[in-house]
Amino acid sequence: MGCACSCGGDCKVNLIYACSGAANTGLLADQVARTLASNGKGSMTCLAAVGADLSGFLASARSADKNVVVDGCKVAYGAKIFTKNGLPFEHFITTDFGVVKGQTPITGEVIETVALQIGRLI
Amino acid sequence: MVIQILGTGCPKCKALEANARQAIEASGIAATIEKVTEIDKIMDMGVMMTPALAIDGQVVSAGKLLNKDQILAYVKGGK
Repeated sequence: MGCACSCGGDCKVNLIYACSGAANTGLLADQVARTLASNGKGSMTCLAAVGADLSGFLASARSADKNVVVDGCKVAYGAKIFTKNGLPFEHFITTDFGVVKGQTPITGEVIETVALQIGRLI
Repeated sequence: MVIQILGTGCPKCKALEANARQAIEASGIAATIEKVTEIDKIMDMGVMMTPALAIDGQVVSAGKLLNKDQILAYVKGGK
């Protein structure tokens, strides 16, 4: 995790969150979020901290130009956390990209493919 | 009341501190101002954008240069 933008400059600040859950799809969500951050699509930060109502994370989410929430599966806890807190977000679910919960092996190729597709949409 | 200014020392951070001092003076509330300049500490507080403002440990704003009146509203317990 890195500071997205210092001192309120004019740069765009995208914050990326992943619900890592417990299934293969959660692993994929986490790895996709990290890949997106590595590819310069934004800064990854902590979804659990937003869920725990930690003030700094909430304030950052309120101020971000874009919050990108990557959920592993359709239960969509990441989206629920943002909705509960009234925070705007763009939502992606890994199972919408041909991944099957509990079945698809999470390989480097799968991670790159899903990250590439989401990266084009944000 | 403890008001923290989170930022590494840029002009906007200094401006936020000055606005906070004006807000405290206008409010008549006893408060101290602390500057948090270490990036690790700032990020530990969940702040991804500076300058940020915290009141009694609660971050109320990040990535914005609040003016005196906006800070005053937070100091008085508003949003």
